[in-house]
Amino acid sequence: MNGVSTADLALLSPELILVGMVLALILAAHRIQRGPLALVGTIVAAVASAAAAAWVVPADGATGFGGMIALDGYSRFFEVLIAASLAVAALLSVKSLDGDRVPRAEYHALLLLASTGMMLAVSSLDLLTLYLGVELMTLCSIVLVGIRVDRPASNEAAIKYFLIASFASALLLFGISLTYGVTGATDFAAIGSALRGRSSDPLLLAAMGLLAAGLAFKIAAVPFHAWAPDAYEGASAPVAAFLAAGSKAAGLAALGRVCLVALGSEARTLSMILAALAALSIVVGSIIVLSQTSMKRLLAYSSITHAGYALLGLVAGTPEGASATMTYAGFYVFMTLGAFGVVIALGERGETLDGFQGLAAQRPGTAALMLLFLLALTGIPPTAGFVAKFGVILSAVRADHVALAVLAVICSVVSAFVYMRIAVFMYMKEPLEPAPSRFPVTVCAALAVTALVTLVGGILPGSLAPWTVPP
Amino acid sequence: MNDYPVLTVTTFLPLVGAALVFFRGGERLARWISLVTTLATLIVSAPLYFRFAKDSSALQFVESADWIPTWGVSYGMGVDGISLPFIFLASLLSVLCVGVSWTAVRTRVREFHVALLVAETAMIGLFAAANLFLFFVFWELMVIPVFLLIGVWGGPRRVYASVKFLIFTLAGSVLMLVGIIALHKLCGTLDFKALAGASIARVHQYWLFGAFLAAFAVKVPMFPVHTWLPDAHTEAPTAGSVILAAILLKMGAYGFLRVSLPVLPDAVHHFLLPMLVMSAIAIVYGAYVTLVQTDVKRLIAYSSVSHMGFVTLGIFTLERKGVEGAILQMFNHGILSAALFLCVGMIYQRTHTREIADYGGVARTAPVYSTLLALFCLAAAGFPGLNSFVGEFLVIGGAFETGSWLGAMAIWGVALGTTYLLWLYYRVVMGKQNPKLAGLALELDARELATLAPLALLAVVVGLYPECVLSYLRAPVAALLATGGAP
Repeated sequence: MNGVSTADLALLSPELILVGMVLALILAAHRIQRGPLALVGTIVAAVASAAAAAWVVPADGATGFGGMIALDGYSRFFEVLIAASLAVAALLSVKSLDGDRVPRAEYHALLLLASTGMMLAVSSLDLLTLYLGVELMTLCSIVLVGIRVDRPASNEAAIKYFLIASFASALLLFGISLTYGVTGATDFAAIGSALRGRSSDPLLLAAMGLLAAGLAFKIAAVPFHAWAPDAYEGASAPVAAFLAAGSKAAGLAALGRVCLVALGSEARTLSMILAALAALSIVVGSIIVLSQTSMKRLLAYSSITHAGYALLGLVAGTPEGASATMTYAGFYVFMTLGAFGVVIALGERGETLDGFQGLAAQRPGTAALMLLFLLALTGIPPTAGFVAKFGVILSAVRADHVALAVLAVICSVVSAFVYMRIAVFMYMKEPLEPAPSRFPVTVCAALAVTALVTLVGGILPGSLAPWTVPP
Repeated sequence: MNDYPVLTVTTFLPLVGAALVFFRGGERLARWISLVTTLATLIVSAPLYFRFAKDSSALQFVESADWIPTWGVSYGMGVDGISLPFIFLASLLSVLCVGVSWTAVRTRVREFHVALLVAETAMIGLFAAANLFLFFVFWELMVIPVFLLIGVWGGPRRVYASVKFLIFTLAGSVLMLVGIIALHKLCGTLDFKALAGASIARVHQYWLFGAFLAAFAVKVPMFPVHTWLPDAHTEAPTAGSVILAAILLKMGAYGFLRVSLPVLPDAVHHFLLPMLVMSAIAIVYGAYVTLVQTDVKRLIAYSSVSHMGFVTLGIFTLERKGVEGAILQMFNHGILSAALFLCVGMIYQRTHTREIADYGGVARTAPVYSTLLALFCLAAAGFPGLNSFVGEFLVIGGAFETGSWLGAMAIWGVALGTTYLLWLYYRVVMGKQNPKLAGLALELDARELATLAPLALLAVVVGLYPECVLSYLRAPVAALLATGGAP
């Protein structure tokens, strides 16, 4: 392996920008605990890093660090997406930071560092860098979940999340070592070529199962989902939003690349594993969500269901399927951030389902926005959620998984009941609480961005197509 | 003069109005914007009727633009003689809905009109769509405003009714979504014209027919998935009932004509008998259930089940007469159910009761109202010289050609229909005045009269000169039966 060249570093420029901002925030921590400077820095870093991912690095498909890191179309897409969810989550954090006396510099530094881990995970071409990225993301997320130190619920959630996440990491690591044992490589391309033309082998099956399980923890797919509702509920709402959006996108991206590039020759076995994960997530998520009355738990189960839908694209095992999953992840991030955004904007009131009663009479605009996000989560046109769902179901049907597609759409009616119950509460009940106070301008900005993407994505469904380049 | 994209403008003008109402305050202003928008929509759609070539079965006023190249889906609009009458009906009834809601809706007026205008866009767009993807988009778009119309401005059990409506229709339409995706996989296109020429294996056709049937049967609604209808229609505000009965129910029947018949002919022939039986049950069973209703609005709601049974019966006779009669009947039912719901809504606003037992002798204080109601009841019962007569006659003729038992069932249904409508009229309008109505000013005012007049005019005109609708249907129905309907 050669030394690190500037070309290699250029590939990492999106991550390096974020890390640079982390260092700056920590060094200046004492000066910026009050005021908006940390937020501004985070937004600037997110925008710069998205710009770097999209434009600065010219050579497409370039790999560096001895083939461990790539900045191809696939990682560009997800890096921009992660940067966007970082920026939106930071905008949404303003209100809860004021309320909870969370140290601003550290909070934003952790957000940035978690995003760095996500970006590393989506651009890695090697199981070891993938592991490093995923772990960086998870460790920062655990601290973010527990950052409200004076709240027992927050601490409890962080400990639960930590225990389960360590277990998941162990599975992932075990899967990596078994893969290495079978193929003698950790590099995706090398694994792929070692597996080609090889008869199936129980050890390989175990390795695939463990890799899939480890990554399924990160996207909270059933049966590896148990941490998500507790962690989301204990965390502050913006952190939950960030976990639901960013870490899910990163986990899906990592899973997609592992499935298509490294384990592409085992597509048949893999698609069975993924189909089981998808079906379970969709069914279990959409049934358990029926009984939720806490908005954060409700959105947590909703995110579990959506992980299942997103997996439908990967089940096909084709590049088109991967594109459909990318589209799904892209639109899902914005609609879930938007739904969380309304919850956050409403403050304490938004944390429970009952708080939404009569919202339409008090704040018609906010209610309309929430309705838009709910329609998107249900998958009703003309919202981006419909386009996303159409794409993944199309790829499932194309791969002859018709039964899975039917199951998925039937469960979407079940979850429609849940989402529309929120609409019923907003539009058809009398308000119980006084009208909410004005929202901070940053929250409004975040809501505007997410609503715009949700709507434009639905009206111009092809708008993401040029960017969803499969690995 | 035809230098603007008529269909696109007609479809999306109401949406512009909705945006205006949403962002510009004021309840009074909302009503006026809504009225002006619906009238303007009616006016900009005028070229459709004047410049339409009746002897062609092809889609006309075709507009096409690239939309989603990755899926091979384009933005395509176009109308033929089958869809045109419904675009007219949707744009006309939207005006009347604004009219009837002028004083009836007093809470959250702005949102009401936003929902109404969005629903108008969905209705017109559905009938103007030239491909299945766009059709589905409008199909789903329709559900949300109607859900809100029922649930926010409806009667006492509105929340139950609206959620039931939503779940029923969504359960149907998601299966259609899988059907659409499967069609896309099999044929590589979703264009109606291209799909009609595609040859699909028999087994696939059967499954696809089932998937589309789930969506269409719920909307029509066919027996036994009609149970959402009485609740939704009864609890909805008058404008909502009108939209539901007059347009939303037609969407399902239109789906049969646009998708099932031309694209899945083998399956249609395979499932002909069950469809005919279900239609016959709907006609007779629906009529008997209507007979025992004690709530005016619920009675009219149930009568839709019976009347839409005639429509599906006519469609699945696959006879020229039957299909033309069915489409004419769809149009007629649109006029008459709207008119009856408007009549009920207008009197409900004064009496605040829907129980038939609370009425009686309305004719004494409201002669004009009673005359109009008589006209609409007679028309709905199939009185000669009024619009439903011709449609029912054609459908029954088609039914007899398919099987005499079907014709017998249809005639039975007509007889029951006459009974429940005239009995309703007798109990509400004739006899001694009910003491509960004493002192109420029941007569219509000018605004209400203006709302009902166009429908009364249509009922008479179509009754005396059915060619004004039938002439549009001839060419497309002939083409439909030649390509798809023939065994």
